[in-house]
Amino acid sequence: MTRRLSLTPYLFLAPALLVIAVFVLYPIGAVVYYSFTDYNIVTPPVWIGFKNYQQLARDPIFWKALRNSFLYLLVTPILISLSMLLAIVVNRRLPGITAFRALFFIPVVSGSIAVGIAWRLMLDTNGIINGLLLALGLLQEPIQWLAEPALTLPLAMALTTWLGLGYYMMIFLAGLQNIPEELYDSAVIDGCNTWQKHWHVSVPGLRPQITFVAVISSLAALQVFNEIFTLTGGLGGILNSGVTIVFYLWRQAFRLNHAGLASAIAMVLLAITLVFSILNIRLLERGTEEA
Amino acid sequence: MDQSRSRPSAPLALRRALETVLVYAVLASVAVLTVFPFVWVFFTSFKGPNDPIVSVPPQLLPHDPTLANYARVWSQLPVGRFYANSLLVTGAVVVFNTLLSALAAYPLAKMKFPGRDAIFYLLLATYIVPPVLTSIPSFVLAVTVFRYYDQLASVILPYLAGVLNIFLLRQAFKAVPDDLIDAGRIDGAGEFRIWWTILMPIVRPSLATVAIITFVEQWNNFFWPSLMLHTRETMTLQVGLVALQGAFANDARGIAAGVVMTVVPMIIFFAALQRQFIRGLTGAVKG
Repeated sequence: MTRRLSLTPYLFLAPALLVIAVFVLYPIGAVVYYSFTDYNIVTPPVWIGFKNYQQLARDPIFWKALRNSFLYLLVTPILISLSMLLAIVVNRRLPGITAFRALFFIPVVSGSIAVGIAWRLMLDTNGIINGLLLALGLLQEPIQWLAEPALTLPLAMALTTWLGLGYYMMIFLAGLQNIPEELYDSAVIDGCNTWQKHWHVSVPGLRPQITFVAVISSLAALQVFNEIFTLTGGLGGILNSGVTIVFYLWRQAFRLNHAGLASAIAMVLLAITLVFSILNIRLLERGTEEA
Repeated sequence: MDQSRSRPSAPLALRRALETVLVYAVLASVAVLTVFPFVWVFFTSFKGPNDPIVSVPPQLLPHDPTLANYARVWSQLPVGRFYANSLLVTGAVVVFNTLLSALAAYPLAKMKFPGRDAIFYLLLATYIVPPVLTSIPSFVLAVTVFRYYDQLASVILPYLAGVLNIFLLRQAFKAVPDDLIDAGRIDGAGEFRIWWTILMPIVRPSLATVAIITFVEQWNNFFWPSLMLHTRETMTLQVGLVALQGAFANDARGIAAGVVMTVVPMIIFFAALQRQFIRGLTGAVKG
């Protein structure tokens, strides 16, 4: 009986652990090793020490990718404020409100590739966006949305925001529904108007959700790929204007066969992610303590 | 600020009505922003050759509606295969991932054994690792060890267990009272039977959550499949859609038809199971 029990838990764990060991644990170790090698996937890796890292340090596109990825983190405060506002708006009993909530959720399930391609069609120089803006008289000349380097990143960030708004709204909505009604009542008695009421009651009450959304959306922002891929047609934008860390990793590894260099990029991404996660966990602990 | 107190407030009913109008205005504008790309793509996919994609003023509805765009896409690309491949991959991953994750979650939640905490924290640590990081060694494995490059197995095997799913199901199993499990043991049931006949039915809502998360993730999965699937016959819908975008570069109507075909099954599914979808996808937060 005791011997059977001692083996049983491992048997239950074995299949899942095998999958995770082969497809997560082993690759983490391998990518560390590859990052110190000259490797093109076809011929065996050759140890070259820190040369990949030195090359990255001298690579202006890599620095641009880093800069773009950090700029991309701007989606986090944008998403937090917009989705929190929207949650406050939909947190009331009105006819049709559940239909609206569901409608806002559709982008979450529809997939970033299909939506990104739809956006690319709309933003074409001969697309509907220019058509609408010209018809409304807001533009005299069509804008080359997708060929303008300064617009690549903002458009991708707009797409990320558009894709995630409904999801984060639902998270804030669940948080709002846990805030006791009495807190709002006493705020009104204290003379708060609607804005002050939400500023003094909703925002502090949503602290755990704010932290959660900050964590999730910033990690997702650091790893953005699909939005860049679809909007730039897989090219990364004019003058690499849309190249982020993950996009650059993908290009180096799977377009240029520089698997060693790409592994070094992966290590940088891992380091950034770890720092972020530690910061985030600190925040999360503080958030839940005070909640 | 203080004025609102001293100023004689407008009749409450009027203010309420005004607020309601304002709320609906906000809802309607966000709804337009949300829905417009879908509506535009939908109508564009039915536009005939004489319907302009864009004009000033823009024309949304096709005057000359046609199914020709869909026919053109179907005749040049094996769209049926894309659907079949996506269904097969998503179905296999949802079923096996849920089962293997539930198997792993049971001892982590309900048994005491050496190494349990170490295993748990190891899994937790891997959750932080960006999936893209593992793609390079996984690619090497696919080509040299598994030799399943350009085969559907390559986009199923790596997803047969998931750390998030293990966590969610571990939480669910933890909430099941120990008495139920002890009762099963007294009746002489083996651990596997206890897991299957006692625990699994109780945690069905969590299984549904895990299945829905996995379903949406896999149906929309692109990065890894795009690295593995290169022959049109092996492509999933997402990968096929990008191939279509390349093949129909100057054919907005055809691309629109492809987008509609990719998105519509998911939207129908979502419309049918709205509550489960929203609860499942956002419910993971508390897990």
